[in-house]
Amino acid sequence: MRETLDVDVLIVGGGPAGMSAALRLAQLQKEKAGEPLAIAVLEKARESGGHMLSGAVLDPSSLRQLVPDFKDRGAPLAAEVQEDRVYFLTRTSKFKFPITPPPLQNHGHYIISLNRFVKWLAGLVEAEGIDTFAGFPASEVLYDGDAVAGVRTGDRGIDKHGQPKSTFEPGVDIRAKVTIFADGVRGNMTKALVRRLALDEGRAPQLYAIGIKELWELPKGRLAAGTVIHTMGYPLQMEEFGGAFVYAMPDGLTSVGFVTGLDYRDPMFDPHLAFQRFKQHPLTSSILQGGQMVRYGAKALPEGGWHTIPRPYAAGALIAGDAAGFLNSMRLKGIHLAMRTGMLAAETAFDAVRAGDASAARLKGYADAIDRSEVRRELYPVRNVHQSFSYGLLPGIAYSGLSLVTGGWWYRDPMPAHAGYERVAKIAEYYPNGRPDPETPLTQVRIDRQLTFDKLTNVHYSGTRHTEDQPSHLIVHDAEICRTRCAAEYGNPCTRFCPAQVYEMVDAADGTKRLQINASNCVHCKTCDIMDPYQVIDWVPPEGEGGPQYEGM
Amino acid sequence: MVLVIAEQREGKLNRATWEAVAAAQQTGVPVKIAVIGAAVDAVATEIGAADATEVILVESPALADYTADGYVSALAALIGEEKPALVFLPHTYQTRDFAPALAARLARPLITDVIALKQDGGTRTYVRPVFQGKLNADVTATGPGPHFVTVQIGAFRADGAKRGASAAPTRKASVTVDAGAIRQKPEAPFKEAKQAVDLSQAERIVSVGRGIKGQEHLKIAQDLAAALGAELAASRPICDAGWLPMDRQIGSSGQTVAPKLYVALGISGAIQHLVGMKGSRTIVAINKDPEAPIFEIADYGIAGDLFEVVPALIAELNK
Repeated sequence: MRETLDVDVLIVGGGPAGMSAALRLAQLQKEKAGEPLAIAVLEKARESGGHMLSGAVLDPSSLRQLVPDFKDRGAPLAAEVQEDRVYFLTRTSKFKFPITPPPLQNHGHYIISLNRFVKWLAGLVEAEGIDTFAGFPASEVLYDGDAVAGVRTGDRGIDKHGQPKSTFEPGVDIRAKVTIFADGVRGNMTKALVRRLALDEGRAPQLYAIGIKELWELPKGRLAAGTVIHTMGYPLQMEEFGGAFVYAMPDGLTSVGFVTGLDYRDPMFDPHLAFQRFKQHPLTSSILQGGQMVRYGAKALPEGGWHTIPRPYAAGALIAGDAAGFLNSMRLKGIHLAMRTGMLAAETAFDAVRAGDASAARLKGYADAIDRSEVRRELYPVRNVHQSFSYGLLPGIAYSGLSLVTGGWWYRDPMPAHAGYERVAKIAEYYPNGRPDPETPLTQVRIDRQLTFDKLTNVHYSGTRHTEDQPSHLIVHDAEICRTRCAAEYGNPCTRFCPAQVYEMVDAADGTKRLQINASNCVHCKTCDIMDPYQVIDWVPPEGEGGPQYEGM
Repeated sequence: MVLVIAEQREGKLNRATWEAVAAAQQTGVPVKIAVIGAAVDAVATEIGAADATEVILVESPALADYTADGYVSALAALIGEEKPALVFLPHTYQTRDFAPALAARLARPLITDVIALKQDGGTRTYVRPVFQGKLNADVTATGPGPHFVTVQIGAFRADGAKRGASAAPTRKASVTVDAGAIRQKPEAPFKEAKQAVDLSQAERIVSVGRGIKGQEHLKIAQDLAAALGAELAASRPICDAGWLPMDRQIGSSGQTVAPKLYVALGISGAIQHLVGMKGSRTIVAINKDPEAPIFEIADYGIAGDLFEVVPALIAELNK
């Protein structure tokens, strides 16, 4: 017998969007008195913040509005930004931008650990008496007709072969008048919802990036706390979108990361390897030398911008934060937009519940509120930025600069773009002279486990754990493609774009290769779901509590 | 006084008890050892070889089979009578089952999975791993004793436990256990058709990794294990492929072991594997790749083809 829980507002995902929505609901309840709403937050990580990964530099504008006394209430802001540096890198040299491009100016912003920040927000939410169900992923959207009625949480205690174990507990149906989907980039619930209700009709395809990050402890005095460094160029080619970041916090704690657009063409490209090359660059290695890597993580980012955001409402449902794609890829920031859209979603949801009307017409108020807010004011002018980089780094920079003046105008608007997985070239096209040998010195990176790491070692530092005896949560709908078509056409790019060595082609008994899925390595970055050229990989949530533990990330 | 709770099952002493004794001896406080069960004289005699003030027998028919309720009630009574300052236990599955309840019953702190002890002036500090062994935390207990401490398997050397000049005196505790208050009704011990292995008890382990290439080659490792009198274990890929059952997997998602001898065949030494076996006393690695990280922690390394080296080893052992 499946249990049912009835609430007024259900928030799926306890990140910055979800927690801001919860906190805003609590505030509205206090302001407007009346019968208190029943509110619940679902979070798949073992504890709040556990799956949070970002650079991160926080624009505090939304925080200031949500928690005006955030400093008195102990918001964990590691350091105020003191200095911005932007470099263009070549293989051996660096060129500093004489002035920091305006979108990358971080004066008045804070370097934070998103894990700590969300944990803090969760504490405020809890203090308001709102329940967060940590360790419970949503596995299915519930509908009444075409209206969203809540979600079903994932079953627990299913073995490898799909049979219930002695610990079996069926998922719970959480039924809500309004469900706010804040399940993050490529959220599995939002993905299902958008598909079923065609919320992306007429919208441009979302463009993603993958961010890989390490937390380092550096010797004293290496970088002043509050130093923010961004780079472009090496090790990426001119046609590839991305760059690196180095954010210095107090006590030598430093975030080092690399972001690559998931719309690269080279099928042999490996984002993790690019990150290793970046660390070997003189600029980076001189910073990291003698330090110690203490944490690792990876996560996708929705970078497509305004034109790619799906309709963020449906009967009974609202979509907020990264799940919908509210991120400014030009400023490399999304936390404040996630918070802001979470707050706006809360306001619409609150009114809808009070009015007893959660129809699509009513919830459209959320989209209208976004249009009137700083979210649109910030995102609309940069609506074509990531798309422009698909023409190369220089056209991208040129357009980005131009957009500051023109307000983002382009003669074709939206600027045409293809989903990233469609841009990956086949090996025969990209390497007409034959597949490159990954063992050649030119492409090989020496892994010294001091500065550079193999993926498996890195995964250890992500704290990732999953119950071993459970079905794979990475569903490959047609594994035959992997050993036949994909091996020949693309050389199994999943073995490269996955930053956690989940996918491996291993020797099969019959002398050929077969796909092995090391699902328990998965850091929940969603890159495979996004980037697989045949779109046969589905990321579904593993048993609750499974995944990385991004303490301090 | 520090009281060590010995662990036995069906009259057989769990080797990890010696490790708890070794840890307890490091405190510099007199050590007593409690043996719980029914008819466990042999266990008391065996552990009585340790350098301890005395061995206390806590015997009752109600304790013949392990139950959390029985152990908690018997030990709570014993501790009330003996008033130890510290209680040390091996961090076994059984301890994990009852120790939290025991500590909660007495409202005393419990520090689990301790890997080292430190004495800093009057303060006793316990070192325990956090974040899956990546960091070590120094922990102190406050408030009235006894403080409960469980010690990680393999962190203290069983053979490092000091033996007494003569056998420790044995005494029966006057503790009665009310059988009616035990809520659990143990079934007959569950035995899988294929005997489940507790690799943490093995003195010698031969472990295979991806270098073994195919299931059909496992025999070579089995033969080496047989020649050494060792248990067979594996790294993750082998168990993932179903070539060996999951209960033979060593590493962060499998078992943690610390045998006297660990022979790694074709194991590269990913950190996930190393954390499960780095406490082994002697590590022998055979691997084709001389750069493999396993050689960084191996005491003896052979950079070579295991299919050549292992048969030679077996031949030599069988001489």
